[in-house]
Amino acid sequence: MSTSTTAAGARSTAAPAAAVGSPMGELRLRVARHGGRSVAVHQFHQGALRVLRPHYLDDSGQLGYVMVNPGGAYLGADLYVIDVEVEAGASLLLTTQSATKIYRTPGSFAEQRMSIRLGEGARLELAPDQLIAYREASYRQDTRITVHPASSLVMSEIVTPGWSPERTAFQYEELRLRTEIRVEGPTGEAGLLALDNVLVKPRRGAQAGNVTGLGFMEGRSHLGSLLVVDARVDQALADELHALAAPHDALAGVSLTATVGGTTGLVLRALSDNTEELNRLLGACTAHLRKHWYGQEPLNLRKY
Amino acid sequence: MPSTPTSRRLALQQLTDSALPTGAFAHSFGFESYLERGLVHDEASFGTWLAAFLGQQLTYSDALAIRFLYEGMPLAELDEHLSAQLLPRQVREASTKMGGRLLEIGSEVFPSPELEAYRAAVATGRAAGHQPLAFAVVACSLDIPLEEALPAYLFAAVTSLTQNAVRAIPLGQNAGQRVLRAAHDGVAAAVERVRTLTPDDFGAVSPGLEISQMRHERQRARMFMS
Repeated sequence: MSTSTTAAGARSTAAPAAAVGSPMGELRLRVARHGGRSVAVHQFHQGALRVLRPHYLDDSGQLGYVMVNPGGAYLGADLYVIDVEVEAGASLLLTTQSATKIYRTPGSFAEQRMSIRLGEGARLELAPDQLIAYREASYRQDTRITVHPASSLVMSEIVTPGWSPERTAFQYEELRLRTEIRVEGPTGEAGLLALDNVLVKPRRGAQAGNVTGLGFMEGRSHLGSLLVVDARVDQALADELHALAAPHDALAGVSLTATVGGTTGLVLRALSDNTEELNRLLGACTAHLRKHWYGQEPLNLRKY
Repeated sequence: MPSTPTSRRLALQQLTDSALPTGAFAHSFGFESYLERGLVHDEASFGTWLAAFLGQQLTYSDALAIRFLYEGMPLAELDEHLSAQLLPRQVREASTKMGGRLLEIGSEVFPSPELEAYRAAVATGRAAGHQPLAFAVVACSLDIPLEEALPAYLFAAVTSLTQNAVRAIPLGQNAGQRVLRAAHDGVAAAVERVRTLTPDDFGAVSPGLEISQMRHERQRARMFMS
């Protein structure tokens, strides 16, 4: 199905000023429902982004895709573009093969622009591995999602404190993870439902030297987020997910977004000390949704 | 009423007076969660929370919204953004409750076509009516310069929160005044920082503050609505 593929090109070490020009990696994916199953009806990738052979984890018809960055990491001025459309009635699980790593980006930043569109009755589970920013790394992730009021979105994310040779945390320059979710209206306009803007600048401005403390990371090192947009989101679900998060070694909060066009979102935010604990916490929440909404088993991504 | 430096100063003083009945006494914006966890318990620990709230949420959300309105960004767009980026429900509701009161008071004492338009948009469900925007619309209509409006707004917010802390922790009245004096530098730094921020920064909040605001919804014993 792949219309184009090139191996990861040789990387230049001289970083331009910003992530502009042609993308270092590009992935476009359109999934539709055919019979009882979801299939890719269009797939395009080039540069340092590709997908593994699609698979079905169970008999629900949900299509699973694993994104791969053969280059292994994002570097300065790298731009990655991901465009995903899940058509009416189709279901997609999109994950990554390994952690997203951002290496040094001196005087520049690496960027991922992702746009997602969910049609009527479409479903997307987005569950990437954790994000690791190395010393002197800057990264921008700009995610724009448009959902149909009768579609279902579940996305999770884990941000680690990064990595440095001295094993000291928060040595990166800046992380910006901005997610905008809009709900498509009857006349084509799309009202803004949620704007999740995580900005961590451990070494500069108001946050300089304070990110680990009260008000920011609260003495914890890892940040986990879960966003759910679905017609079934209500206060009872928020209470259930709060109860599921409670036994974990994490400081977690759950709340509902405003309602736009009859659609409400749920946001769960958790701080903990390692990726595994957050994976367990977020996994317990997504398992709850999978079981109660679709009769599916919990995600076990390590079985293939 | 002719607009003079004195009239503008008095208007700003009234708008940012802690006696302005917007209901600020009922909102802790999450510090009551820290109180329950024992992390905010005295003058110093409250000062730490206040500095974080001022440097993050008040700067990246409220102050930036005010600056953008002054710079001519469409009010409807800013209102929609605030509703979308204030993810903890109680904080969103606090912003629109206090905003609603400010719109009401404003139309009685500082009426203007811009304010009436905002009120009408809120009344018909086209806007939510957030506090920083209601303030900015009134201040702008009175020709109060941004460099005066912004520190006054931030210091008023800090003052209400400190008065609430004086009651809730409790702190002595003099301790409250020391916290406020210490917040001068934070307000000045916030005003400086707001100048340098971009639309991409709008609504950036710190996870810890946000989680505490979310957890407040489930707190059993509480004095505050947020």
